[in-house]
Amino acid sequence: MLGFFIKRLLYALPSLWLIVTLIFILSRLLPGSFASENILHSQSESYYSKSDKSAKQQAYQNYLLRTGQHLPLFYFSVTANPEPDTLYKVYPESERLHLQKLAWQYGNWPLVTAYYKNLQRINPTSETKPALEMLRKAVDGKAILSALADLKKAAPYSSTVQELEKSADNLIRNGTGYTYLLPKLHWHGTQNQYHTWLAGLFTGDAGNSFRDSRPVQDIILEALLNTWIIVLISLLLSCLLAMELAILFLQRPFIKLKQLIMPVLFLLDSVPLFVLCLLLLVFFANPDFLQLFPAYGMGFFQTGNLSWTEQFINRLPFLILPILSLTLAYLPYITNQFYRAMLDADTSDYVRTARAKGLSHKKVIRLHIFRNAWLPMITVISDFIPALVAGAVITETIFAVPGMGSLLVASVQARDYPIIVAIVFVVALVRFVSHLLADAAYMLADPRIRLQR
Amino acid sequence: MHTLLQDLRHLWKLKPAFRIASVYLILWVVLSLFLPLLPLVYEPNSLDLNNIMQPPFQNNPSQPTHYLGTDAIGRDVLSNVLYGARTGFFIGVPVMLLASVIGVILGAAAGYFGDAKLKSSKASIFALWPLTLFSLYFYGLYIPAQAATLQMPVATASIGMLIFILAGAFILLRTLLNLIPSLKKQVTVPLDYIIVRLIEAVSSIPWLILVLMLASFLQPSVTMLAFILILTSWMGIARLARAEMLRIKALPYMEAATSLGLPTKRILLQHALPNMLGPILTSFTFGLASLLTIESTLSFLGIGIPPTVVSWGRLITGIRSDTSAWWLVVFPGIFLAATVLALQVFNYYLLALSANKKKA
Amino acid sequence: MILKMKKVNLLFYISLIFLSFCSQPAREPEEVRIRLAADPENLNPVSYTKADALQIINLIFQALLTVDLADNTIKPALADALPVIARHDSVTHFTYRLREEASWADGSPVTAKDVAFTLKVMKAPLLHNEQLKPQVAFIQDIVLDAADAKKFTLVCQGFTPEMQLLTGDFFILPAYLFDPKKLLDSYSVTDFTDDLSRLENDTKLKTFATWFNSPDFNRSAALLKGSAGYELENWTTAQYVTLKRKTDWWGNNLRQPVSYVTANPTRISFQIIPDNTTALLALKNKQIDILDNIPAAEFTNLKNNKAVTETYALYTPDAFDLVYAGLNTRQPKFGDKQTRQAIAHLLDINSFIKISQQSYASPTVGPVPPSVKTYYNNGLTPVSFAPAKATQLLTSAGWRITPEGWFRTVNGEKQHLTINLIFRAGNTAFENSALIFQQAAAKAGIPVNVQAIEGSVVSQQVQAHTFDMFFRTLTGNPFFFNFKPLFHTSYSEQGGSNATGFGTTESDRLLDEFIVAESEEKKAALLKRLQAILQEEAAFISLYYQKDRIAIRNKYENLKISGLSPNYDVSAFKIKN
Repeated sequence: MLGFFIKRLLYALPSLWLIVTLIFILSRLLPGSFASENILHSQSESYYSKSDKSAKQQAYQNYLLRTGQHLPLFYFSVTANPEPDTLYKVYPESERLHLQKLAWQYGNWPLVTAYYKNLQRINPTSETKPALEMLRKAVDGKAILSALADLKKAAPYSSTVQELEKSADNLIRNGTGYTYLLPKLHWHGTQNQYHTWLAGLFTGDAGNSFRDSRPVQDIILEALLNTWIIVLISLLLSCLLAMELAILFLQRPFIKLKQLIMPVLFLLDSVPLFVLCLLLLVFFANPDFLQLFPAYGMGFFQTGNLSWTEQFINRLPFLILPILSLTLAYLPYITNQFYRAMLDADTSDYVRTARAKGLSHKKVIRLHIFRNAWLPMITVISDFIPALVAGAVITETIFAVPGMGSLLVASVQARDYPIIVAIVFVVALVRFVSHLLADAAYMLADPRIRLQR
Repeated sequence: MHTLLQDLRHLWKLKPAFRIASVYLILWVVLSLFLPLLPLVYEPNSLDLNNIMQPPFQNNPSQPTHYLGTDAIGRDVLSNVLYGARTGFFIGVPVMLLASVIGVILGAAAGYFGDAKLKSSKASIFALWPLTLFSLYFYGLYIPAQAATLQMPVATASIGMLIFILAGAFILLRTLLNLIPSLKKQVTVPLDYIIVRLIEAVSSIPWLILVLMLASFLQPSVTMLAFILILTSWMGIARLARAEMLRIKALPYMEAATSLGLPTKRILLQHALPNMLGPILTSFTFGLASLLTIESTLSFLGIGIPPTVVSWGRLITGIRSDTSAWWLVVFPGIFLAATVLALQVFNYYLLALSANKKKA
Repeated sequence: MILKMKKVNLLFYISLIFLSFCSQPAREPEEVRIRLAADPENLNPVSYTKADALQIINLIFQALLTVDLADNTIKPALADALPVIARHDSVTHFTYRLREEASWADGSPVTAKDVAFTLKVMKAPLLHNEQLKPQVAFIQDIVLDAADAKKFTLVCQGFTPEMQLLTGDFFILPAYLFDPKKLLDSYSVTDFTDDLSRLENDTKLKTFATWFNSPDFNRSAALLKGSAGYELENWTTAQYVTLKRKTDWWGNNLRQPVSYVTANPTRISFQIIPDNTTALLALKNKQIDILDNIPAAEFTNLKNNKAVTETYALYTPDAFDLVYAGLNTRQPKFGDKQTRQAIAHLLDINSFIKISQQSYASPTVGPVPPSVKTYYNNGLTPVSFAPAKATQLLTSAGWRITPEGWFRTVNGEKQHLTINLIFRAGNTAFENSALIFQQAAAKAGIPVNVQAIEGSVVSQQVQAHTFDMFFRTLTGNPFFFNFKPLFHTSYSEQGGSNATGFGTTESDRLLDEFIVAESEEKKAALLKRLQAILQEEAAFISLYYQKDRIAIRNKYENLKISGLSPNYDVSAFKIKN
């Protein structure tokens, strides 16, 4: 038994690792980051600027350094041949882009840096400014030369300009194009973001949130509890209901009922969840129609200490609409699956034998069919877990429930990567554990499976 | 193929609900294909700034009626509903087709080869395959993407040349490596293991999370959305194809064929693929239905689709700025639900039929 | 059948119990409930990131100066008067004195040392202060008065008019609570003004950084205690933040009460509701007292809803948020002003206002708000929507219309008039305006590509000067009109704040003169001329000034509704008798 679990664990670990690594790298490769959003582009434009560009740039770099985000992303990186592996250290980004363009165009990094250093040495005055502006954008030889000619007109006797001209000439003459078509591997060693993060994960530290610098696990735990209450209750409710419905459907006398309910379930399944949530909200939390439930949240702040039952009762009205919408959303799928599983069991040999023994129909269903159908049902439920979370995203946004779903949406919008990766990890983990439990249940129920594995 | 058509005909005759669903779906396809020929008074994207937020069925003597009303900037709801159906069709069907192709190839390969059947030389596994994959990434993805951000004109001709040279180098390398006896040795590739892990990995993240993440960072465009959707919807079909392949492989006539030494590949192509069509069709319709829902959900959350693309989701989202405009939810909502329902019903009967057949 | 009856009964009872729970929860009396659209995330006065957080911190901490929302003027808050300004060659001195009564939560007085400590925390390396650090970069030093523990002088680099506000615009921190071990005492503010790299391995600073960067400093009620009238009572992430009035606050015991230093409601609670639809329902349910940023169409609906107007008062103060369009003058096709003017004539501003703001906005001739009567140029009229005029202007700019669009040849280069219009994704007002402009331009033969993109990508493209045209908002205020960073050509390099590249020699001169102008008449004359040039050049096209839309429970009075955020002063609220 234990051996089986360990084997399963070893089997699933690669997928778990694969998915978390993929999300980690993918999320950081995408443009925009929490820091650049909040420090570089922080204030919306205003009449007067509260701070100047270089101070912001400095603060941004300090932030990256302090939080370890200045490190390379992974153990190695592959770039086009002319790019150096230190390019990411160049700020601001517009300059980095220009350098990169030059590197691609001329394929020779030392020449590019020599030219660039000379370019930076020139003092911008009102005369040289337009030409310098051109030079900061110019990439191909013609453009550089014509801008240089302008610059020479503006500052004819400057020695720095002459040096610049020399290095530009050198660059244009000795640069080789198309070397970017060759790849170059850069090795960064263990000083990289991924390694730091993975090492932290093994010691139980999933990093800190960018937004409020709290440990990720605290935040996730808090959100998970709220989501779990809602998801578990609605899952339980829909399973119970689905089971009762499936049992009803199997009985001859209720065939009419089945013909009535099945289409309704189908219809329910066709309504997108967000429409369902909006409808419930507008119908049952609206003074214009029926004001049965509060519209949002998970309760208000109450002074004084409450026991947990009191707390729960206080929360209950807030939970009903989210639970109801999720239950309605899950019900059709689960009912259908349960019904099918039971139908399979219904036609099997032992049920036929049981019938032949003269057991009543109800007893046959409860005793035999159910006993054999609940295993497939567990699989159905554990397969359903990602969909549950997806549903939670929508419900939680609309009903303002502070759970995993709304946390995810907020983190994605703020580019709070540590949280995003952790959520994906948790969801994958939960699914894996539930699969494991399902397998264990199978084994306990049916020893033949053990032999097969 | 033949049996599938027969099944459909059989269902058509017996089940009125199936008939209605099929007629609806056929109408949807026809509408999507021929909509531009329809003489609609208002274009879906033309604005009628004098009649904004007009409720439906209001007659205005001075100009043609907006039968289903207008939205916040005076776009005609009727033409938007119709064109929204078209958009849904033109996003959903190609995405599902491509996802099916990927799914069938991966699933069938996993099922057919299993963990033991695919053999390859050490040279290919350790040198040639990684090299090919890397070249594909570097020249197919990295260089073009970087060139786009750097606004560099990448000479396509030179890349073409390079690919040619690389292909030559590849063949050369292969023959060279095969000369070394220890590298020539054949080893088994646990293809089934790899593909099943991959399916498990991708499907253990909720699709919404994946789409949400990708779509909110990348610039919204239909191609980008389609790409993301393909990436997140091939797993169901792959799993089905794999299961079907395993089932067929275990059938007595296959076993007989293998033991007789007959070419199994041809038998598989002749028998297995047609047998797979039924399950794939159900999976296809199911995926299509969920794609339609995903598209409108994304529009509602405000991610993924550019504002100039006509879609049901865009109409429904209008409710966020004015909750009294019920017609913005009701009409596209009805069509959305009806289309999903028709697909589900179609799917349901097909599934029921194949389940019955299995029993028989 | 009996069994079934039992089931039905059970169901009935369960639903009865359910419904009995579902009565609306009881409200605490004298608690003001405000809707927040998102969790404040961080309430540290030095490292907060969100505007929502700022509103809350404002009730816990105080700055030297504040804006009195009753008349939109700058008033002393912790300081006892506006600063005395002394200008020297390259530096300016701002001398403040703190209020005699001002004290911290433990009763100890707020002193100049606390101000010095605050500056150190904001400027020191290794601390989580990167968001606000750039704002105090111009303050070089603080000189404490030897005789008066409450008096000090800030030494600032250069001079701009807005410095007066900026020197008093940061929250003063309690040194006794934030640095009990007096780790920062041995440093001076100048230590943190120069090169910081040598301090990066300083052990004392590192110890303080570990202490100050801990998450507790972002949310702990024990640490976040300031000199203002409220203290943090409870914060449940993503649900609510409640503040409690201090029992014996100095501001309420002033010998001469100050109308804008107040703490009236006993409890203020911020309810976090992300979704707009839900927030509106909460308003109709009377679960919240204040709702701002109401969507325009919904606001009209609320106005017509009797049940709402009976309990809520609705306000539309003139805000200082300008919506404008920017054209990139560096692009050859937009290089001449006639082409730009033609595009300005295709912007149907009245439709923008009617459709995206439901008329809750006022058109403007330039970046000065129409509500600021002294500076607004009444002699100008907003640019009219005139496609015929646009065509005429394009023709005289050398463009020729063909079935494929407008073309012209300048210096042997053939130009095609197309516009790629970018704006922040998710902003419906921009989106609707962009679509209206697209239709008008298409009728005039100009293809417009509308692109809604991520906010940070918009700023990147704008700063890199790779855009054609954009829609953006400009946050203004009624005190300072120093437009130099926005319109002076010295700010038009890459990454500079003059994104459109606007600028003539005359406008540069006007902007330089404005900074040193003393008299109001002179300032008004300069600004009015600037508005005329801006309209003529049509690179920075002002569209309209928004109005805020707020609903506040009508049982409150003394609201101080204002166009400046947060639009009302909740600490002043009183219940009507």
